[in-house]
Amino acid sequence: MTGAVKAEWRKNTRRPAFLVVAGLVAGITVLTYAIDYYQALHPTAGEVAQGIAPLLKLELSPAQFVNNIIGAVFPLGAAMAIVLGALAMGSEYSWATLKTMLTQRPGRLTALAGRLIAFQAWMLVLTVLLFGLAAASSIVIALMGGLGVEWPSLIDVARGVGAAWLVLALYGTFGMALGVVFRQAAVALGAGLIYLVILQEIVTRFIGAVNGGQYQGVTRWFDGPNVQSLIESFTSTAFRPSAPPAVTPVQAATVICAYLVVCTVALAVIMKRRDVA
Amino acid sequence: MPRVGRMENAIIETSGLTKQYGNGVLAVDSLGMSVRRGEVYGFLGPNGAGKTTALRMLVGLIRPTSGSARVVGRAPGDPGGLGKIGSLIEAPGFYPYLSGRENLEVVADLGGADRERVEAVLDIVELTARAERKFGAYSTGMKQRLGVAAALLKDPELLILDEPTNGLDPQGMVEMRKLIKELGRGERTVLLSTHLLGEVEQICDRVGVIRQGKLITESTVEELQGDEGVLIRAEPADRARDLLVRIFGPEAVSRQDNSLLLKTDPAHSLDINRRLMAEGIGVSELRPFKRSLEDVFFRLTGERQGS
Repeated sequence: MTGAVKAEWRKNTRRPAFLVVAGLVAGITVLTYAIDYYQALHPTAGEVAQGIAPLLKLELSPAQFVNNIIGAVFPLGAAMAIVLGALAMGSEYSWATLKTMLTQRPGRLTALAGRLIAFQAWMLVLTVLLFGLAAASSIVIALMGGLGVEWPSLIDVARGVGAAWLVLALYGTFGMALGVVFRQAAVALGAGLIYLVILQEIVTRFIGAVNGGQYQGVTRWFDGPNVQSLIESFTSTAFRPSAPPAVTPVQAATVICAYLVVCTVALAVIMKRRDVA
Repeated sequence: MPRVGRMENAIIETSGLTKQYGNGVLAVDSLGMSVRRGEVYGFLGPNGAGKTTALRMLVGLIRPTSGSARVVGRAPGDPGGLGKIGSLIEAPGFYPYLSGRENLEVVADLGGADRERVEAVLDIVELTARAERKFGAYSTGMKQRLGVAAALLKDPELLILDEPTNGLDPQGMVEMRKLIKELGRGERTVLLSTHLLGEVEQICDRVGVIRQGKLITESTVEELQGDEGVLIRAEPADRARDLLVRIFGPEAVSRQDNSLLLKTDPAHSLDINRRLMAEGIGVSELRPFKRSLEDVFFRLTGERQGS
C-alpha cells in the first residue's frame, strides 16, 4: 500500500494539470481578495446608501477569512475537483497506463486505494493552499486598511478546512468514478461539469415543482443543496443576510459523506470487476 | 540450443480458457497451453488470432468467460503471482509528462521493486543516456525498450512480451531480438507473442500456434518443421517415384507440387542421383529440403500471404 501511495503521489506532484489547478486556486484567491478590496474602497452609491460599505471591508478581515473563502469551494472548487478526478482516472485509459498499474504487484483494490489516498491528499493540499492564501491576503488587507488583526478560533478554521476538503473530496471522487465509467477524461469531465452546473439544478427544480411542491423534501437529499447548506452555515448573517440553510450542517456533512462513500464504493466495484481492454 | 526438457514443470498452464465478448465475438476458444519453466515460448498467430486477449487473461487484466489458468502457481491477477511476472502487453503505457527514469520509479514503487533496479534495467535496455527525457518525446523504439525495462524491474521469473518488435525499424528489431534472447538465458521463462515467423525461429525453444482463438499445435520449432529430406524433380516422375519407393519405402516418399519429397539424409543426394540416372531417369533438380516455419505456419493456419 505504501508503495502505491508513493507512486501515486509522485505522479500527482509532477502532473501539469494538478500543478496548474493549484496555481489557479492561488491566483484566483489573491485576485478575488484584491478586487473585493478595491470594491470595498470604492463602493457604489447604492452600497453607501444601504450602509453596507463598511461591511464589505470587514468581510475581508482576518477574522472573517474562513467565512469568506469557503464560498469559493462551491461550485468553482467542486468543478476543479471534478476536472482533476476525471483527468486522474480517465487519462489512465487513454495513456494505457492502467494496465501498467494493474500488472504490478498490488492487487486492483490496493492500487486504487493508493490512488484515492494520494488524490485526497492533493485535495487537502489545495484546501490548505486556498485557506492559507486567504489568510495571508486578509492580513495584508487588514494592515493596509487599518483593520484589527483578529483570527477566527482554531476550531472554526479546522471546521472550515474540513468542510472544504470534504466537498473537494466528494467531487474529485465523483470525477474519478466518471473517468472509470467513460474510460476517458474528456467525456467524464464534460458529464461531471454538466451535472454540477446544469443537470442537478434542472432536476431539483423539476422535483420541487411536481404536484405543487409535494416532493420538495426530496431535493434536500441531493448533493448540491447539502453542499450549499454546509457552506452557508459558515456565513454570518451580518454579512450576507439570507434565509437559513435548507438543511442543518450536521445533516449536510452526513449526506456529503454518504455520497463520498457511494462514489468510492462504485469506483472500487467497477475497478475490481471490469476488464481492462 | 533448445533447452526443452531441462525443466518440465509448467510455469503457465491453461485449460479450456475461453473469452467471449458481449458482442458475441469469441476471441479465445478453449485454449490449453503449457509453458515450461526456463524456456522461451513463442506464441504465434496471425493478427486477430486472440494472442493479446489470451495474454491479458494470463496477467488478470480481463476475466475468462470459462476455463482456468495457473501462472507461476497462482490464479491470474493474484498479487503474489504478479510480483513474479514482468509483462509488456501491446503498446507500452507510461505517463508522457514523466521522464523515462521517473516512469520506472513509479512502476518500481507500485511493484515493490528496489529503486536500484531502475538503473540496472535502464542499463540493460541501453536507455541510461536518455533516461531524463520525457516519455512523450521518446521514439517508438525507445518506448518499446522502456516497456521491456519496466517488465524487468521485478527481476521476474516469467517475462511476457506481446509483440515487442512492433513498430520498430529493422535495426531496432534486431536489437530487440538480441535483447530478448539474452533475457531468455538462465532460469527466466519468456513468453513471446508474435506474428513474425523469423522472430520465433531465431529466439524460441518451443512454439504454440493459435488461430481464431484456438491453439492448433504446440511443439518445438524443429518438430514443427519436420524431418530433413531431399527434393527431387525428375522425368518421368512416376518411374522416379516407383524407384524411390522400392529403395526407401512408401512412407519416405511424397509428392509436393511437381516434385518428389524424399525423407532421408541429404548426404545421400549423390547416391540417389546415380541410382536415378542409372535407371534412365532424368534429374533436373535435386537439393536438400527443409520446410520453412513459414510453410508450416501457413499450412496450419490456412492462411497464405498474397493468395
